[in-house]
Amino acid sequence: MSKAIIEIQDVHKIFDQGAAQVEALGGVSLDIREEEFTVLIGPSGCGKSTLLYLMAGFEQPTAGRILLDGVEIAGPGPDRGFVFQDYALFPWKTVLGNVMFGLVHNGWSKQEAREVAREYINLVHLSGFENAYPHTLSGGMKQRVGIARALAYNPKVLLMDEPFGALDAQTRKHMQRELVDIWDKTHKTVVFVTHSVIEAVFLADRIVVMTARPGTVKGIVNVDLSRPRDYTGEDYLTVRKQVLDLLEEEVEKEIRLQEKAI
Amino acid sequence: MKSNHSSVIEFLFPFLTVAALWELTVRLHLVGMEMLPPPSLLISKLWTLTVRGVLLHHLGSSLYRLTIGYVLAVGLGIAVGALLASRRTLREMFAPVLSMLISVPTIAWVPVLLITMGLGDRTVVTAIFLGGFFAITYNTMRGIEMVNPGQLNAARIMGVGGWRLFVEVLLPASLVSIITGLRLGIGYSWRALVGGEMLSALVEWGIGKMVYQARFWNDVLVMLIGLLIIGFSGFLLDRVLLKWLEQETVEKWGMLAKR
Repeated sequence: MSKAIIEIQDVHKIFDQGAAQVEALGGVSLDIREEEFTVLIGPSGCGKSTLLYLMAGFEQPTAGRILLDGVEIAGPGPDRGFVFQDYALFPWKTVLGNVMFGLVHNGWSKQEAREVAREYINLVHLSGFENAYPHTLSGGMKQRVGIARALAYNPKVLLMDEPFGALDAQTRKHMQRELVDIWDKTHKTVVFVTHSVIEAVFLADRIVVMTARPGTVKGIVNVDLSRPRDYTGEDYLTVRKQVLDLLEEEVEKEIRLQEKAI
Repeated sequence: MKSNHSSVIEFLFPFLTVAALWELTVRLHLVGMEMLPPPSLLISKLWTLTVRGVLLHHLGSSLYRLTIGYVLAVGLGIAVGALLASRRTLREMFAPVLSMLISVPTIAWVPVLLITMGLGDRTVVTAIFLGGFFAITYNTMRGIEMVNPGQLNAARIMGVGGWRLFVEVLLPASLVSIITGLRLGIGYSWRALVGGEMLSALVEWGIGKMVYQARFWNDVLVMLIGLLIIGFSGFLLDRVLLKWLEQETVEKWGMLAKR
């Protein structure tokens, strides 16, 4: 078993929303292990994206701490890469310019950055689109740029926040397969947030199921299946049922919570 | 894509129509020629003024003042707008002041400036500056406030902060709004210039001055030429200079909402 690269230690997060306080995370402890593909899944509003934002350093925990390689995370930094649900590309830069961004700002020369960026553009199958502006690309292509941009400067951890959530079903399946390919080539440590069980079981080494708000770890399912996985295979369906059973209770809880709020 | 030929005709057609109707009105003696000289006379007078170099001298003086005042307004407007956007307490304090100052017509500043800045170029340039400054400041502030937080976070996790974050991300990400400010600003600056030249006694040359001086000779022809030049120059500054900037940046980058 590989060592823990991120250690989440009893993390709480409370958001002030005017007079009301919303407890998003209620004491999460979790290790993210090196070179593993970890998926966070849970009912909507369970704080899975919040947990990812804390790992990125975009937000600070209200209590508890998160260590990256033994050092407490104080803010965002280039030892992590982030892939956003809405891509968050820079529309004023070309595909090449977007992928080069993290490189030129972290010590690579222009020349080296261009070469490395081209490699990663090739990795996500966008060769030939180097000089295109993001607004001319489809959603799937935009997210490939997002992935290349986050990987190019070689961060230790890749954080992905529902990266395929805005894509249509066909494109989404295709992107999942491509991500598995990319992961096979890079063996990057990945933390991936989704609410799709199908996606989780297709991608993950470990699936962390979270409870309804305030989010905590409900259970962890290890997925010991070889890749690429068959959505209809018997062992795939067994794992899927395991995750669904854990999740179902929490989804019902969340729905009751919402009904109460109305 | 339309051919250049047809778009030139489309552009000129309304102007030619108005000119033709105008000419006709005067030639049919519906209006006296001294009150409204027809376009044909205007063109011949425009020719004389151009050949004698008078027009160029007036226009050159105006554009020189505009350049100084407007460049100052752009530089300081973007800087102050960015500062207000990045400091919440400052913004909450000064946003109402800014809204108030925007609604003061720039020409209303001129009497004050005549006393504090003198009767010459300094007053005109300051009026031009004030005209552009508030609009550019306000729109820069709004633009930066509305930058997609995802783009900011993306830059921050790639290790970009401080000054580089401003130049590399905040500025281009808010360019749609900044250009709106630049376009509004150049309109206000241009109007302030004309008014300022008219009211500043020591200013001798300038397109606004030309119109004002023509009053003493009862020369409606020169006044009308001045008005046309003022309108046309303002139009060119916005449609050619800033529209070009817009096309080369935010439009090319797909940042303008599709209509």
